[in-house]
Amino acid sequence: MDIFLSAIFAGTSRGAIYALAALGLVLVWRGAGVVNFAQMGQAMFSTYIASTLIAQNYSYWIAFVVALISGGLLGALVDLLVMRPLNRKKSSSALDSPAMRSTIPVIASLGILGVLQAAAGMIWAAEERGFPTPVNSLGLVINGKIMPFTAFDLFVMGIVFVTLVATTYFFKGTGIGLAMRASALNPEVARLSGIRIGFVRTLSWVISGVASSLAGLLVTPSANLSPYTLDLILIIGFTAAVVGGLDSLLGSVIGGFALGLLVSFVNVYDAPEDIFLAILIVLLTVLIIRPQGILGSKEVRRV
Amino acid sequence: MLEIKDLVTEYGSVKALNGISLIAHEGKITTVIGANGAGKSTLLRTISALEHPRSGSITWKNKSIVGLSPEKIVRLGIAHVPEGHAVISQLSVEENIQMGALFRMRSNKADVRLAISEIYQLFPRLEERKRQLAGSLSGGERQMLAISRALVSRPSLLLLDEPSLGLAPLVVEQIIQTVNDLCRNTGLTVLLVEQNANTALGVADHGILLSLGTVAADLPAAQMKADVALRAAYLGY
Repeated sequence: MDIFLSAIFAGTSRGAIYALAALGLVLVWRGAGVVNFAQMGQAMFSTYIASTLIAQNYSYWIAFVVALISGGLLGALVDLLVMRPLNRKKSSSALDSPAMRSTIPVIASLGILGVLQAAAGMIWAAEERGFPTPVNSLGLVINGKIMPFTAFDLFVMGIVFVTLVATTYFFKGTGIGLAMRASALNPEVARLSGIRIGFVRTLSWVISGVASSLAGLLVTPSANLSPYTLDLILIIGFTAAVVGGLDSLLGSVIGGFALGLLVSFVNVYDAPEDIFLAILIVLLTVLIIRPQGILGSKEVRRV
Repeated sequence: MLEIKDLVTEYGSVKALNGISLIAHEGKITTVIGANGAGKSTLLRTISALEHPRSGSITWKNKSIVGLSPEKIVRLGIAHVPEGHAVISQLSVEENIQMGALFRMRSNKADVRLAISEIYQLFPRLEERKRQLAGSLSGGERQMLAISRALVSRPSLLLLDEPSLGLAPLVVEQIIQTVNDLCRNTGLTVLLVEQNANTALGVADHGILLSLGTVAADLPAAQMKADVALRAAYLGY
């Protein structure tokens, strides 16, 4: 029973992180029409910045906030320096089909991922380094009894819960959130309503950058930090986003938690080697039975 | 006054507008009629900067608006209701209306509230359905919503593209009458694109007949309506 409970808690805590990563992917997909493969590379970069600050004896929290800000800035830079110029460029007619126009930014994001990983390797060397947690990550002891979860698990779940509530309020309860939803659903009507869709698009890159940096900061203590460690989170986060329905924020969160539990149960009851197999089976099953994902709209996929 | 001179807009190598000149006077309804493919929608899309003209000028209140972005043009008081009941069906009715006022929400919140309540007086059915998704509305209600989305920005020039498309005659009558009242009561300038020439010329002050991207006739509406030869030649009835 204790094993079962601890698998549930570990899975929920892990799922919360996957949910963040998936949320980041969905935000940019909806807001800018790009599947951003560089996302966890951006997160890796900001986690390295946090790690450097901590190594220089700054507090965890200062490093945490600086990493989130740099995650957002990096998101803005990707949009302003790469995606916008790509969009503006009048390409040859062979490259100007809708299929190519949606593929080019994806390829560009792969390029950005490569650049970020190479740069991180050059700046911080490619060896793995540890990353601290702000609270204890051993089993929490209450009344002399060891609980099936750690203080860090609770910290992760709490912070992700707050993030999700804030995100929901932002999109449903504020004008700029409405502007973002409108621009994602129908850019032309949004522009005719006076919404600055360029600004809104950059903003979705920024929010996505912050969310994925948060995912990076929360997942790294259990995986160590190297330029490539977060690739795994990208793969699982992407699967979570597809399972949830690539254009649904709520779906991506559900997908994230579902995959967290799956990974945790496979880990506990089967073997860690089978995690990828299990993820692949879930992905294929969803794509065959319900290709639009759990909450995705039925519209034909563009990528 | 909206003044357009020698406007040329191309799609690839096709000239959708081939040297159009026209004037829409303030506080009047000017209707642009013509067959499919005459360039009516392109004309409105060029004014609101969704398309970029190759040459020619567009001036509104004596200022050139060519080269501005659509977002900027809305801020100058030009609101475009595109073809096909353009609302966002996944958003609620209320959100669709609010969307049109977002850009001035911070600077003039009180007036936005007032504008929204005026719209609900104009179209009580939208208030009854304000929490519903726009996608659940009937065609007529969607068109009312699309117009409301434009009106909430308090435009001085309304570009209206085929409001009658796919609607029952009774509903068309109601919508056209509402636009007419707005124009007469508030001094709104209207540029109304219509395929339904009879209805449009019935309320308009002035008629512009487009044919293959050029102006074929530019007459007071009543005169255009009475011109049997013109109608037979260009409109087929």
